Amino acid sequence: MRRHELLFERPTSLFASTPPEMREQSRDDVRLMVSTEEGNTHHAFVELPSLLEMGDLLVVNESATLAASLPAMSRLGNVRLNLSTRFSDNLWLAEPRWSPGRPGPLPVDEGEILQIGDHRATLLKQFPGIPRLWFTHLDTSATILMSNYGEPIHCSYTSAYPMSFYQTLFSYFPGSVEMPSAARPFTPRVRDMLLARGIGIAGIILHSGVSSLEIEDETVEHQVLYPEIFSVPEATAHAVNATHARGGRVIAVGTTVVRALETAWTPDGLRACAGTTSRYVNPSNGVHAVDGLLTGLHDPVTSHLAMLSTIGGLGRLKSAYAEAIEHRYLWHEFGDSHLIWRQPPN
Amino acid sequence: MTRVALITGAGRGLGKVLATFLAGQGYSVIITSRTAMELEEVAHSIRNLGARVEAVPGDITDPGHRSRLLGETNAMGGVFLLLNNAFDLGETPRPELASASLDSFRSTLETNLVAPLALIQEALPQLESTKGLIVNITSDASQAGYLRWGIYGSSKAALDLVTKTLAVELKPRNISVVSVDPGDMRTRMQQDAFPDEDLSNRPMPEVTLPFWAWLSGQDPQRITGMRYQAQGTLWEVPA
Repeated sequence: MRRHELLFERPTSLFASTPPEMREQSRDDVRLMVSTEEGNTHHAFVELPSLLEMGDLLVVNESATLAASLPAMSRLGNVRLNLSTRFSDNLWLAEPRWSPGRPGPLPVDEGEILQIGDHRATLLKQFPGIPRLWFTHLDTSATILMSNYGEPIHCSYTSAYPMSFYQTLFSYFPGSVEMPSAARPFTPRVRDMLLARGIGIAGIILHSGVSSLEIEDETVEHQVLYPEIFSVPEATAHAVNATHARGGRVIAVGTTVVRALETAWTPDGLRACAGTTSRYVNPSNGVHAVDGLLTGLHDPVTSHLAMLSTIGGLGRLKSAYAEAIEHRYLWHEFGDSHLIWRQPPN
Repeated sequence: MTRVALITGAGRGLGKVLATFLAGQGYSVIITSRTAMELEEVAHSIRNLGARVEAVPGDITDPGHRSRLLGETNAMGGVFLLLNNAFDLGETPRPELASASLDSFRSTLETNLVAPLALIQEALPQLESTKGLIVNITSDASQAGYLRWGIYGSSKAALDLVTKTLAVELKPRNISVVSVDPGDMRTRMQQDAFPDEDLSNRPMPEVTLPFWAWLSGQDPQRITGMRYQAQGTLWEVPA
């Protein structure tokens, strides 16, 4: 797949800068576009249960969000260090930035020391293929640094809100540095309607790192992803296999869930699996474990879009995004939802 | 307490990258290789990071050299991470098994199989006290049956079985063992193996750093017996 195939333009007025709760609405007060072979339909998010069938299964990410953005002093002045992936309490993949709204890469060297309060973070080596990310050694546990100095990672188009705004109904296990936001619109009432209708909900864990940037390579499949910690428990593997066996559909809530399930997929079905995955779902390797993806609206030329085009086909994705812009859907983590069904296998 | 790592074949390539990376994380490192000059350069650059490093040049098939290495690790508090990375590629150009020199085969096995096990045996008391991890570097040649890779490949296949067997045998002593296949890289080893090929499109050994970062954060006892591909997309922790 070529880079330009994932390119599109939309006005910045479509970036959701505030969560619906700040607009005196409920979390589930967002819109939902559904993309199928027949085209796109437009709904309120609370209609989700009526759009699914008894026996379908939603799989959600149970990772909770950390306060992973740390203020740091350096020879370049005041900067930020956004933690991304935990290897151990003292060793993280991290992204030094000028400020929340101003990414790097910063002109830093191997061995460079950033001061966080009384503590030191040493930039050891750049991540191979992703030079803005550094293997970073901390002289104290990251948990202590985050509880003393951390705030949520946020983008230039939003302010930093209290941590509760970055958790979902399913955030049980802390470890993500950016909210797995696809499940953000789920409220207890939506969950209860789903369960009452006979639609199952199962969980995986994938601790999401800092969001990826635009793909730079002309060939989309060449993008390098960094590893993320994940776990697909036995019960969820069983639920997915049982759903498929009786003809139900498995809907991933979020791109992180697709990555976890595809990592655990085998030709004999899903197996319980835990560890670290850097799997990149793109047209060259396809999707096997999911029949649909419920997600937000994503930026142009990203690995997320490569995944969406793998699931729905590039044509369906293009038509969906054109309609989303026309209908003024809101982008990003506080924005609207999109359910894209898998194209029938060739 | 500072962890101590012993890395063989640390004069260049993967061993050098690993030694530097571990030192940056605060490990004390003991490095060895047959090439004293290269080894001293590696030690020098690690010292510049402010880390503790001892360079002990020599041949790991020499029992006296192995004892010196473990004497150093003992003096530093006992080895926690034993990285068997040194190897002998065997005759070059690589022969087919049908016509391979048996003396050269024996010598390859001595370096790639017997010496690592000898080092492990002698390190066991230290590894037991540190609840340490042994990492044996392997290769896809150990599984594939590639043309002209029979000498090196069979030595690595045997080393893989040493890993799996030791994992079972050493579990009661809380010592863990894994095999790691670093994958294709642009190293001197690969250039020796493919003297006529242009390897410039292969990644540098730094491509494996994400794996080593991950491995250093794992509880060794949960992953003992595993075989990992450092450039793979899944590093699994068994249930």
